[in-house]
Amino acid sequence: MVIQEALFWFLTVMAIVCALGVILSRNPISSVLFLIATFFAISGHYILLNAQFLGIVNIIVYAGAIMVLFLFVIMLMNLNADTEPQKNRLIQFAGVISGGILFLVVLAAMRTVGGTAVDHTTTDIGLIKNLGKVLFTQYVLPFEISSVLFLSAMIGAIVIGKKE
Amino acid sequence: MKAIIAATIIGVVLMFTGILVKEKKGIATLAAILFFLLLGVNIWELSTLDANQPQAFFNNMLRIDRYSVWFNTLMTACTVLYVMLSGREIQKVGIHVSDYFALMSFMLVGLYMLSGYSNMLVLFLGIEIISIPQYILAGSDKKNLKSSEASLKYFLMGAFTTGILLMGITLLYGASGTFDIARFTFLQADSLNPMALCGIIFLIIAFAFKVSAAPMHMWTPDVYDGSPTPFTAFMSTVVKAAAFIAFIKLFHISFNSLSGHWTMIIAVITAATLLVGNVTAVFQQSVKRMMAYSSIAQAGFMLFAVLSISATSWQGLIIYAVSYTVATMGVFAVLMKLKDFTYDGFNGLAKREPLLAFVMTIFLLSLAGIPLTGGFMAKYFMLTAAVEQGQVLWLVIFALLMAAISVYYYFRVIIAMYFKQGSPEMSSPVTAGDRLVLVATAALVILLGVAPGLLLKFI
Amino acid sequence: MTNLVYLVPLFPLIGFLINGIFWKKMPKSAGGIIGSLAVLASFCVSLGIFFEVKSLPEGTVLPPVELFSFIQSGSLNIPFSFQVDALSSLFLLIITGVGFLIHVYSTSYMHEDEGMVKYFAYLNLFVFSMLLLVLGSNYLIMFIGWEGVGLCSYLLIGFWFKNRDYTNAAKKAFVMNRIGDLGFLVGMLLVLLNFGTLSYQEFFNALPTTQVAGSTYNWIALCFFIGAMGKSAQIPLYTWLPDAMAGPTPVSALIHAATMVTAGIYMIARSNALYNLAPAILDFIAIIGLATALLAATIAIKQYDIKKVLAYSTVSQLGFMFLAIGVGAYTTAVFHVMTHAFFKALLFLGSGSVIHAMGGEQDIRKMGGLGKHMAITQGTFLIGCLAIAGIPGFAGFFSKDEILAAVYGHSPVLFALALAGALMTAFYMFRLYFLTFRGKFRGTHEQEHHLHESPAAITIPLVVLALLSIAGGYVGLPAVISEHHTLATYLSPVVSNIGAHHLSHETEWMLMGISVSLVLVMIAVAYNVTKKASFAPNTGIAKVLENKWYIDELYDAVIVRPMAALSRFSDKFVERAGIDGLVNGVGKTVRWGGDRLRLMQSGQVGFYIFVMVLGMVALFAFSFILTN
Repeated sequence: MVIQEALFWFLTVMAIVCALGVILSRNPISSVLFLIATFFAISGHYILLNAQFLGIVNIIVYAGAIMVLFLFVIMLMNLNADTEPQKNRLIQFAGVISGGILFLVVLAAMRTVGGTAVDHTTTDIGLIKNLGKVLFTQYVLPFEISSVLFLSAMIGAIVIGKKE
Repeated sequence: MKAIIAATIIGVVLMFTGILVKEKKGIATLAAILFFLLLGVNIWELSTLDANQPQAFFNNMLRIDRYSVWFNTLMTACTVLYVMLSGREIQKVGIHVSDYFALMSFMLVGLYMLSGYSNMLVLFLGIEIISIPQYILAGSDKKNLKSSEASLKYFLMGAFTTGILLMGITLLYGASGTFDIARFTFLQADSLNPMALCGIIFLIIAFAFKVSAAPMHMWTPDVYDGSPTPFTAFMSTVVKAAAFIAFIKLFHISFNSLSGHWTMIIAVITAATLLVGNVTAVFQQSVKRMMAYSSIAQAGFMLFAVLSISATSWQGLIIYAVSYTVATMGVFAVLMKLKDFTYDGFNGLAKREPLLAFVMTIFLLSLAGIPLTGGFMAKYFMLTAAVEQGQVLWLVIFALLMAAISVYYYFRVIIAMYFKQGSPEMSSPVTAGDRLVLVATAALVILLGVAPGLLLKFI
Repeated sequence: MTNLVYLVPLFPLIGFLINGIFWKKMPKSAGGIIGSLAVLASFCVSLGIFFEVKSLPEGTVLPPVELFSFIQSGSLNIPFSFQVDALSSLFLLIITGVGFLIHVYSTSYMHEDEGMVKYFAYLNLFVFSMLLLVLGSNYLIMFIGWEGVGLCSYLLIGFWFKNRDYTNAAKKAFVMNRIGDLGFLVGMLLVLLNFGTLSYQEFFNALPTTQVAGSTYNWIALCFFIGAMGKSAQIPLYTWLPDAMAGPTPVSALIHAATMVTAGIYMIARSNALYNLAPAILDFIAIIGLATALLAATIAIKQYDIKKVLAYSTVSQLGFMFLAIGVGAYTTAVFHVMTHAFFKALLFLGSGSVIHAMGGEQDIRKMGGLGKHMAITQGTFLIGCLAIAGIPGFAGFFSKDEILAAVYGHSPVLFALALAGALMTAFYMFRLYFLTFRGKFRGTHEQEHHLHESPAAITIPLVVLALLSIAGGYVGLPAVISEHHTLATYLSPVVSNIGAHHLSHETEWMLMGISVSLVLVMIAVAYNVTKKASFAPNTGIAKVLENKWYIDELYDAVIVRPMAALSRFSDKFVERAGIDGLVNGVGKTVRWGGDRLRLMQSGQVGFYIFVMVLGMVALFAFSFILTN
């Protein structure tokens, strides 16, 4: 239990720090690297919740494929800290303050929520076998229909990307 | 369910016609035919549905009833009308004509999901399916910088809202342990779980964004103004109606017993939306941008349906959605025939194209809510629903005041067309077919104003 | 006959469709003939209906004639049906009868205009809407007609759209009417909320039995009256009517004198059962009516535009009608609507004939002595003036005398003020008459050369209306002459007349004597004043009157400009301050199509999201305030 708790806090701090790193760093490449680290931390959380499949997929798809693609794009376009346009201080402050207020408000709203913890260690819902079963029986409709979503995203890539 | 399958197939078929059919006109004709078939499928589904027995699919993921299928049928019919009105303009946007139609077909899939969902997952997917094609269509005119800008803006803000929507769904799941909208357990509890309340507010915000209600409306003018005009016509009508039915369904079916917690929030949003939409529309110089603000203002009226839980508001939503959609599509169809979208571009249209000016007048009168047009009946139903609800009489009076203001900016177009001199430049000739469809659309607007009961017959 | 009532609005609708669809291709005369025939056909049917209603046994009220089901949803059922009874059949006659004469007049008056067919299309549409307004058996149909006549009035005021002032006048009329309509709509919603119906019969039957708070009646009555204020040009919503004179003169005669502006009277007379339960609102109506009557009369005294004088006179007469309603004399108000329709239409058409002869000149300072050239116009105009001034034997005398008698029964103070208004009426009308038709011609030589009597299509309606302006009063003889008031008896099943006090014969003779003799004095004064009229620029109070008490300027300063400022502020805040100011800092304005990269990432999205987040915070905060 102690190890789990320690891991939880470690991963949480890592996720938050790295997420802040994504938006605060000036260099796009370090932003991307921070994002990859964030994904790893979240995958760690998945594994802690006994959802190994999700954790692995998260690493393979996001950290592995998508973020590497991002890196390539950034390198090919030769973007770096210098080309980033100067942002207005005022809007940055405003953003930080309003975001902070929203955070506070939501926090205040939820402060009374009691912890009805579910023990995830005993269930094996996150295992690939059960996940597959649920996905192909109970949630087969959303699963199938998400193909429409991907189709339209693919069309989008063609429409936006192809030269006219 | 039949319609969802059919629309998906039609979308795939349209995707591939781009390879086989090279001629743009052929693609547009094919799309019109296929959408017409889709309408037939909807009617078939409607006829097989028992009036009192909702039909559930796939472990209650989807639960359709007469109302939702009738709504789908009407919106599909509007899409057919839209393709007939603006088919030629769609061909002009770019080279991927078949893909544009395929995307529209997929958006219809999203619409069918949103009118029939019974599970938050399906809701989320539906909203994404209507959103992503919109981002693409907004940016489809790649030579135009404003179009690309609109697309990117819409995408960024849409992504932000998706996050909020997911957050809301998560909180509701956390509070109840289920995605099924009919089985939220927190509804049975004595006191409201704060997590659920936060979730509801997040959902309100996400929906407010999708229907462009204040203060989440800021994207609307830029996106509607920047997008290619035919797609603006589609996005501001059918897609908006889809978001509304999802909104009203969730809040009236699931959160009915909690209405004390959210009615006033929606009332405030409604008031803000009406104010922003109407007052800012007054000062626009471009008719297209005015229509963007007008769509915000009209959304304010449609929010009345969400606000008051009664049969009248469900009926009102259908009437409002259809009459608003038809009139707006008509306005855009006329707008697309002109080169100059400013008010001055309309000067003297009545001299040059009397028929166009006449039907445009009917559409604008309907949007302004003048009696004997569909728009009046729609507003009448909305306000009646709110009056029946009883708590928000102040809002009704405010809405009437705003409706009076709206007359000003709609009539500016009429004044320009009839009372000012000039020779408007046309971007394309008006063919006999155009005239026929436009006159039919105008007749439809009047018919809706005289016999709105027709729309309620099949529920 | 009553089951044929749908024919009455159908004919003008057909006329509108024919003229409206083929206006480009049709010869002008055909448009005029179709338009006039359509209204004539309606008039014939209306006559049949009128006599059938008249022959009904006393006290019977026919059920509404249902055409089709309009709205049917759950508890709400509103049929599209017509109410044929004494009140609506009387209005049918006025609308189609006077309407027909004005159509005939227009065939000649508008002959030079290239848009003549379009004009007739609008005019037919107006008649159709007005008929809907009076025929509807529930408030919703009345409202549809109500909006319809507003729209037609807007189209017709702006008919000569090449003049920018005219389109502005049209806009002003429409906006002011919309303000009034708001009141009407709110009233309708209140009726629906409290009584669950909009049908007249159900509503009036439910009035005595339904348990509602006492103030509800007042609120509904007030809301309806606000609607009437807009349409019937009462303080503070009257300024559009004088501006509406920008339209062609026959339009002013039909819409802005005889029919549309009396819709407010019709509505309140129709709802008399409601108003009888709201005495406080009746008092309010009386005060507004009297104030309008006096204010408009003072303004009319110093106007120089022949149509403006008539317009203010119309506002003033409408004020008298509301005064009659305010003291509970509904039948009297309807009586005055009828006689006023005759003589005011006559006066407007006469002025149109004059303007026609003067080649478009409307300034009475440039007229004079026209009687020599246009005998028929002069004669009929004089009859109109005598009628409106209240000389015994003419229609206006009977209705106005009845109003004054009713007011006297209510309060002698009100009577004195109303009498003052009536005297001013006599003064400004005869000032107009003398300046126009008597004395020497003051226009240019060329104009004098062109002076001529108008053609028969213009003079015949004038003569018919002149006859009506004399005969129209005999349906309501004062009690001292005959105890049998034909009109009141006819209307009695629908309209109560609680305000008609039975004064003793001596009092009534006395009142009549006072008013008639003072009116004669005023006419003499008018004659003297106009004889030595110098038209020097006005000073002092006269200047204030000439400038209409500066009411327009006041509205502009108090309402229009702040509204425009608010709108501009909102535009600036959302559009410019939002994008340019906050995001890029003042001075670094980003223009569309500028630097590409900047445009894409200019942070506008950031600003939008910033506003969204602020909105979210506000909504959360609001919801916590609500829950706790």
